[in-house]
Amino acid sequence: MNAPPLIRARSLAKTYLVGNVRIPALEDVTLEVGEGRFVAVTGASGSGKSTLLNLLGGLDTPSAGTIEVGGALVSAMDREALARYRRFGAGMIFQSFNLIPARTALENVELPLVFANIDKKERKRRAAELLAKVGLAHRANHRPPELSGGEQQRVAVARALANGPRLLLADEPTGNLDSRTSREIVGLLAELNRGRQLTVVMVSHEESLVREYAHDIVRLRDGRIVATESLS
Amino acid sequence: MRFADAVEFALASLRKRSLRTFLTATGVMIGIGALVSMISFGKGMQKNVSDAFKSSDLFSTLMVMPGGTEVPSGDPADRPRPPLKKEGRMDAVLDDAAVAGICRIPGVRTAYPDINFPALIGFGGGEEFRLVQVVPAAIAATKAVQVKWGRPYASDDEAGVVVSRSLLRRLGTAEPAAAVGKTLRITSVSIDLGQLASLDLAAVFSGKGSLVVRDAHDFPIVGVTEITPFGGGGAGPVGNAVLIPPGTARRIKRLPITSIWDLFRLREGRLGYSAVSVKLGSLRDLEPVKSRVREMGFTTFALADQFDEITRGFYVMDMILAAVGMIAIVVAALGIVNTMVMSILERFREIGVMKAVGADDKDIKRVFFVESGAIGLVGGAAGCALGWVVSLLINRVVNIYLARQGMPYIDYFAFPLWIFLGAVGFSLLVSLVSGIYPARRAARVDPVVALRHD
Repeated sequence: MNAPPLIRARSLAKTYLVGNVRIPALEDVTLEVGEGRFVAVTGASGSGKSTLLNLLGGLDTPSAGTIEVGGALVSAMDREALARYRRFGAGMIFQSFNLIPARTALENVELPLVFANIDKKERKRRAAELLAKVGLAHRANHRPPELSGGEQQRVAVARALANGPRLLLADEPTGNLDSRTSREIVGLLAELNRGRQLTVVMVSHEESLVREYAHDIVRLRDGRIVATESLS
Repeated sequence: MRFADAVEFALASLRKRSLRTFLTATGVMIGIGALVSMISFGKGMQKNVSDAFKSSDLFSTLMVMPGGTEVPSGDPADRPRPPLKKEGRMDAVLDDAAVAGICRIPGVRTAYPDINFPALIGFGGGEEFRLVQVVPAAIAATKAVQVKWGRPYASDDEAGVVVSRSLLRRLGTAEPAAAVGKTLRITSVSIDLGQLASLDLAAVFSGKGSLVVRDAHDFPIVGVTEITPFGGGGAGPVGNAVLIPPGTARRIKRLPITSIWDLFRLREGRLGYSAVSVKLGSLRDLEPVKSRVREMGFTTFALADQFDEITRGFYVMDMILAAVGMIAIVVAALGIVNTMVMSILERFREIGVMKAVGADDKDIKRVFFVESGAIGLVGGAAGCALGWVVSLLINRVVNIYLARQGMPYIDYFAFPLWIFLGAVGFSLLVSLVSGIYPARRAARVDPVVALRHD
C-alpha cells in the first residue's frame, strides 16, 4: 500500500444480541485501505463481510474498536454526523440494488442530492450526467422494474457517486447478476477507481471475479481477517 | 432536505396509496365538518339573538316591577329571589300614577303598563285562545313591534288590532297581506259580581245562570307582524299574537288579573300593574332612569344588564358544541396515526434506502410530518366544505318545516371567515400532532435492518 490510508479500522468488533445470546459477527479486525485502492473483501457466507462494510459505511456502529475515514472518527459519530458521512463521505451499493421502485432512474440518482439540499435544477443536471457516465442516459425516465438487473446496479452506482464521495463501498454488487453483467459491473467499479481515484471496497464471495481488478484482497473467516494479499 | 422536496415526497407517497389517503382524509373531513357545523350553529344562534336584541330596541327597554314581589309571570315558588328585589318597597304600587311618574323621569321616552288578558280570537272561521296584549300606539309604531303588512294603529283609541302572522296561519289564513282590513273577533270573559251579590247561586249551579260573562268585539286588522323565534315582535316586552291599543282595550270587559299572583299584590285595595315597560331615549339613560325608578320603590330589570350573562351562556354552549365535534376529530386523528404507522411498515425498506444515501432523522421526520399534515390540510378544507353544505341543508329542511308553522326564514348557522380558517388550522394541527409518533418511529428505523427487509 503506497498511498496514504483513507480508512483505518482498529480492533473492530461487532456483536449482535439475539434474545439473550451474544453472536459475534466481527472480532478484532484491523484494516488500512489506502486512498485510490480497490480492495476486495472475500469470504464465505456469514464470515462478517457485510458487517464490516456496514461499519465502514456508517450504517452500523461497532461494539468495540475504531474506524477512521479520511481523518474523521466515524466510530464516534452521533446519528446526525453519521447521516452526513453517509451523504458525502461514502457511497454504497448493494446486492439487491435498493432503488426506490416508484421513482425513475433519474429520481433515484437525485436522492442523495435531495438530502444535500441541492436545488432541483442542479440535481437534475448532476443526476443526468452521472447516468450518462454509467451508460444509462437513455433510461433516465424508466423506473427500476423496467430496468434489467445490470442497469439497476448501474443506477445504484450513479446514485452512490451523486455527492462525490472519496469512498465507494459495494456489498456483493454482483450477487443478483449473471456472470457477463457481473463482469461489466466490476469493470465499471474498476474504471471509476482508476479514472476518479475513487477508493473502492467491494465485498464478494467470488474471489475470481475481482482478482482481475482488485489491488488488495482481504479474506475473512468467522469474523476475523485470516489473510490479506496485495496484488499490485 | 428542503421543505418543497419533503412536500413532493409526501404527495408522491400519498398518491401511491390513494385509496387509503382518501379514506383517512374523509375521516378528517367528517370530523372537521361536524366541528364546523356545531360551531357555526352556536355562532348562528348567538348572532340571531344578538341581532334580534339590537333590532327590537330591547337594550333600551327597562322593565319595572312592583317592589318586594316576584317577577310578574311564572310560578313564584320556583324562582330564586333576584338581588334586585331587595331594593323595592313592599308598599309601592305600580298604578297609573306611578306610570305617569316614570314618564316624567328625564331620559324616558314612554312607559306603558304590561297588560294582558285572555281571550278567544276568531278569524276566518278559526278560533284560538290567546293572551291579548295592550300596547300603546306609540310603541306599536316602533321596532319593538315591527308591523310588516298593513300599518300600526294610529292612536290609542283606534278600533283596530295588530296580529302576528303565525296566529293568522294557525287560524287558517296563509296570506298575511290579505288579512289586513278584515275583521277579527275578540271574545273576552269576565266575572259578573252582580250574580254573586244577588246570591242566586242556585241558578249558577243549575246552569241557568253564570258567573262568567262573555264579551265579544269585532275589530279590523290594521297590521300584521312577522314573529321570529328570536325577537322582532316575538320576544321581550311585546311578544303576544294580538296587540290592541289601550283606549280600545278599555271597551272590552275582562278579568282584572292575568294570574292568581296578582291577588297577592293587592295593597290597601289598590291593584297595580304586574309590570311596566319603559322605553328609554338611549342606552346611556339606562343607569340614571334605573336609579330614579328604584327610588320610587320599584324593582327594575334591564336586558342590557343580562346580555353579558347571555354572552357567557353562549360561550358555554359553543364549548359544549365544540366538545361534541371534538369526538369526531379524535377518531379522525387515530385514523391518521393508523395510516401513518401502516405507511412506515410498507415503506420500511424505502426509509432504510433514504438513510443509506444520507437522510438524517430530521429528514425522515419531515417527510412523515408533511404527509400527515397534507392529510389534515386536505381533510380540513374538505371538512369546511362539508360542514357548510350540511349546515345549509339542515337550515333548509328546518326552515321548510318552520315555514309550515308560519315562521319566517332564519339562518340558524353563521359562517364567519375565522371558522373556516380556524377549522383548517386546527385540522392541520391535529394531523401534525397525530404524525408525531409515526414520524419519530420512522426516524428510529435502523437502516441495516430496513435494507434487509423484504
